[in-house]
Amino acid sequence: MTKMLKRWCAVVLLMILSGAASGAAQQPTSQPAQPTQQNEFIPIDQLPPQEQLPAAPLLIGAYVFVLAVLFVYVFSVARRLTNVQRELDRLDTTIKQGRA
Amino acid sequence: MPKWFTPVAFICAAMFAFSPLVIANADYESTMGLVQKIFYYHMPSAWMFLIAAMVCGVASIRYLVTGDLRHDRTALAAGELLVVFGLLTLVTGPLWARKAWGTFWIWDARTTASLVSWMIGCAYLILRRYGGPGSEKLAAALALFGMANVPFIYISVNYWRTIHPATSVVPKLPFTMGFPLWFCVITFVLLFIVLMKLRVRLEEQQTRVDALYLAMDER
Repeated sequence: MTKMLKRWCAVVLLMILSGAASGAAQQPTSQPAQPTQQNEFIPIDQLPPQEQLPAAPLLIGAYVFVLAVLFVYVFSVARRLTNVQRELDRLDTTIKQGRA
Repeated sequence: MPKWFTPVAFICAAMFAFSPLVIANADYESTMGLVQKIFYYHMPSAWMFLIAAMVCGVASIRYLVTGDLRHDRTALAAGELLVVFGLLTLVTGPLWARKAWGTFWIWDARTTASLVSWMIGCAYLILRRYGGPGSEKLAAALALFGMANVPFIYISVNYWRTIHPATSVVPKLPFTMGFPLWFCVITFVLLFIVLMKLRVRLEEQQTRVDALYLAMDER
């Protein structure tokens, strides 16, 4: 019985050791490096540039501005063109009626 | 309107609708990241701004030399587009610069010259609108200054100290960034042609209305 127990203990010990050894061997490649423990906080005046300002609002703002300005301009030209065309038709009609 | 107008306007609208997809698939630039994608609308706007200044200037010269009112109408249409595309350039540029350079504006040669050119365009339109009879020739002379500024704006980044990207950036673009750029350039060129045609048509119709009023007064 004690022999059996000793064998089981040896097998379990071997498994643990082999697991630990393979884990230790794989650790640098499979797991990301842990951040080092901080002993103190070092203040800085400003955030690094990549953290200061998100790019997405600027990008979206630029594209929305371009599309909005172009839409307003096209609308403005179309409206002016319609008004002039209407005035032209009205004048043509008036002149024709005057001739008749 | 000529026959080509509707198909060109349709293609332009389709390309505009498709352009965000093309831009979204473009590669990110290594140092500027996401915000660099403003480039795909900023640079074509800037090119149309400069082309409009050139068209306005050349048409003004032809008007001053020949006295032909068709050239004056072309100059006026181009002057308005100069102000519109200049506004797009001068707003999208600072939005990009805020992230890339850490500031909205720097007074370097290109940005300053672009602002001056845009203000000349505004002055041209104000003169045409409120200058009264005979202001066409004065405005045409002003347009020459706007045109003279164009080569200076283009080469300024190569000759003066600035953080503005050099003109050599565009020929060196890889396909993944070059394709979206040229797609947007073609889109903006088509838009420029469509808007020029519409704006010239507006002036032509306005001239006809003025002529009809004159004819009615003479009776």
